[in-house]
Amino acid sequence: MASLFQYRWFQILLLVSFGPFVVRAVQFYFASTNAQVAEFLAATPDTFREFLSQQGLFVFLVVIMQSGLIADDRRTNALQLYLSKPLTRVEYVLGKLVPPLAFVLGVTLVPALVLLILQIVFAGSVTFLRANLFLLPAITLYSLIQALLSACAILALSSLSKSRRFVAVMYAGIVFFTAAMYQVLRAITGSRKWAVISPGEMLDVIANGIFRSRVEPAVPVYVAIVVVLVIVGVALVILERRIRAVEVVA
Amino acid sequence: MRGAWRVFELSLGEMLWSRRTVFLAIVVGSPVLVAAVIRIVDSMGVTPFRLNGQRLDYTAIFGVMIWLLFLRFIVPVLGVFYGTSLIADEVEDKTITYLFTRPIRRGAVLVGKYLAYLVCTTLVVLPGVMLVYFLIVPFQQIGGSFTMLLTDLGLLALGLAAYGGLFALIGAVMKRPLIVGLVFAFGWEQFALVMPGYMRRFTLMYYVQSLVPHAMPAEGVTSLLQAFFTSTPSALTCLVSLAVAIAVSLTLAGKAVERREYVLDQ
Amino acid sequence: MISTEHLSKWYGQVSGLNDVTVKVPPGITGLLGPNGAGKSTFMKLVTGQLKPSKGTIEILGEPIWGNPALYHRIGFCPEQDAFYERMTGLGWVTALVALNGLEPAEAEAAARRALEAVDLLDAAEKKIGAYSKGMRQRVKMAQALAHEPDVLILDEPLSGMDPLMRRRTIRLIREWGRSGKSVLVSSHILHEIESMTSNILLINNGRILAEGNVHQIRELIDTHPHSVFIRAEDPKALARALLVEDGVISMRFEPGAVSVETARPDAFYARLTEMAASGEAGVIDEVTSPDDNLQAVFKYLVKQ
Repeated sequence: MASLFQYRWFQILLLVSFGPFVVRAVQFYFASTNAQVAEFLAATPDTFREFLSQQGLFVFLVVIMQSGLIADDRRTNALQLYLSKPLTRVEYVLGKLVPPLAFVLGVTLVPALVLLILQIVFAGSVTFLRANLFLLPAITLYSLIQALLSACAILALSSLSKSRRFVAVMYAGIVFFTAAMYQVLRAITGSRKWAVISPGEMLDVIANGIFRSRVEPAVPVYVAIVVVLVIVGVALVILERRIRAVEVVA
Repeated sequence: MRGAWRVFELSLGEMLWSRRTVFLAIVVGSPVLVAAVIRIVDSMGVTPFRLNGQRLDYTAIFGVMIWLLFLRFIVPVLGVFYGTSLIADEVEDKTITYLFTRPIRRGAVLVGKYLAYLVCTTLVVLPGVMLVYFLIVPFQQIGGSFTMLLTDLGLLALGLAAYGGLFALIGAVMKRPLIVGLVFAFGWEQFALVMPGYMRRFTLMYYVQSLVPHAMPAEGVTSLLQAFFTSTPSALTCLVSLAVAIAVSLTLAGKAVERREYVLDQ
Repeated sequence: MISTEHLSKWYGQVSGLNDVTVKVPPGITGLLGPNGAGKSTFMKLVTGQLKPSKGTIEILGEPIWGNPALYHRIGFCPEQDAFYERMTGLGWVTALVALNGLEPAEAEAAARRALEAVDLLDAAEKKIGAYSKGMRQRVKMAQALAHEPDVLILDEPLSGMDPLMRRRTIRLIREWGRSGKSVLVSSHILHEIESMTSNILLINNGRILAEGNVHQIRELIDTHPHSVFIRAEDPKALARALLVEDGVISMRFEPGAVSVETARPDAFYARLTEMAASGEAGVIDEVTSPDDNLQAVFKYLVKQ
């Protein structure tokens, strides 16, 4: 984590990721100070759901910058060194999961919670929060699901290669390819059920379900949850097979 | 140019059998699979496909795949993935030393690798497009739409050339070209294309998609906005603009590579 | 062959090379220094991979940076173990030498000659990925000399080689030197350089500590006491005789021998020769100097 923080570009990325937060904060400010615009700019649960959705780009960039988490260790043969210490494979993987989890939560959960606090502070009352008590667990749960999915995916891909650049290519390819294929299949068949092939769409369905959005989901929420669980499961299986102290060369 | 050609010959083999190209083949193979499924489903006499509730003809399905998959995804993605790594891959593999200690200008090395990228990607993508076409479009409709296929092949090749050139420049100049490339292709271009005025002229997709013979599918807000703001330039304008973009990108990339020092990881 | 004038190279705040002015003559020259001394930086500047931050560097009378035509006359064997693993040794060397402008048939013939020179012709059709460490080093050297350059730059060429292969490679390098090529070899292993050449460049902390013949360098270090180990029939008698000699700094007795430190080695050796001839201090069986080699020179200079 420390080495990533040293990169100026990463620092700039984290700074820019708070751009939508600033916009929303200004929105809440004007909503609470100007009665004329309060109706249009007032906070709703959908505001927070949309905010988290907008942070999706920064989640993608923050995750893709960590493509070398395991790939670098494999390239430098450090993996064998780590696992020759009193360190289990589970501890190694958990340790490697922390940076992507932390950074993703840093651009999703943290600004969303601060936004909620700002709304209360600017409004000068907890009326909104009392009326939408589910928001706190909703923000937390959705952020955690998004962070876990992204972190497991990038870690699994990182364990498949010794080149961090190739891992980044694979991750970006999978994200964009599944989205593009969904668009094609939906256009051809007219059915939104093809959203199951796109992790991004599944996260959207889960978000709509958690935030009680009135948007008609492409698939039932439980299907989206199963898809996310399957992806995480596959990632864990890949990690179990790839994180070994000894590599058997046939 | 002779030096560039020699580098092209050396790089083509390496590129064709690299992991990256295997990944590319899988990506291009997916629409072929979809096309095969469509053909099988159609031959079983199942309900025909619909686009926005309207019954589709197969040429339109092919057009949808060209727009949504090949043009908006595969071409920019390949440009980013290959273009940004023309030199970066050699630096990472530490084989750049062998190329830069030969009596060939570094710019020529870049051009040679760019040509290898172009041949490699067109060799994988264009046959994929042709397979999709012949799988989807019924035999009796082939004659009428064959020129459309040829246009599609030409513009996809041109798109690969244009994106490859631009991202070769980004790869030569920037330290993290992959991120910049993805932000350009899937951030800036998506945004600029829906803006009115001159903004969309600062994208490559504006010129490439203006050459597409198929109607743009209206599958979302973005497409609707793009259709609303569309003022399509002439084919000549598009071709000239893309040619200039390629030439300028490669020239600047060559100059950047000549000046830059490549320090290998110890 | 290679000349530098106030050559410096910085990586940000870190100095890789600092104000180096040398003239490397034709023949075999060893570039010697510990890890991190600046050898690789110097090699990269010599081969035009890096641009000097300050000063100039010329190879065969021409600046190397941005001058690709000069590579017709330079062959470089880099330190890193990096190849196009998928290719065969012959295919790889042929492809690289073709970049020098040779036609395909010419390039293959040149590649075969180079592979034969490094004793790798038998394995030429095997993929480089299947090569042993020593074979990989040799195929690297083959690509460096396939186009028959005038100057060979070899960065740690013996790295990873077994003793037998080391000997053969050292012999090869000496042959290249005798055949008229100029060779610059870098290493941090002192006896390797010593076995190839007596012409050295000593580098440490980005600075050239000394250049020239190892014996000449030794002579320059006149403030450093020279140790001589003498095995004699009667060490005490020998010690008594040597004690009165001018320049003897100290003595130490060892079983059957005496170790002398002298500030004037030439005069000392001359006197010792006289004593051995006359027998005045008894029989002298053996005279060696642990200082008259690169190790001692290097250790002394690095400590400065």
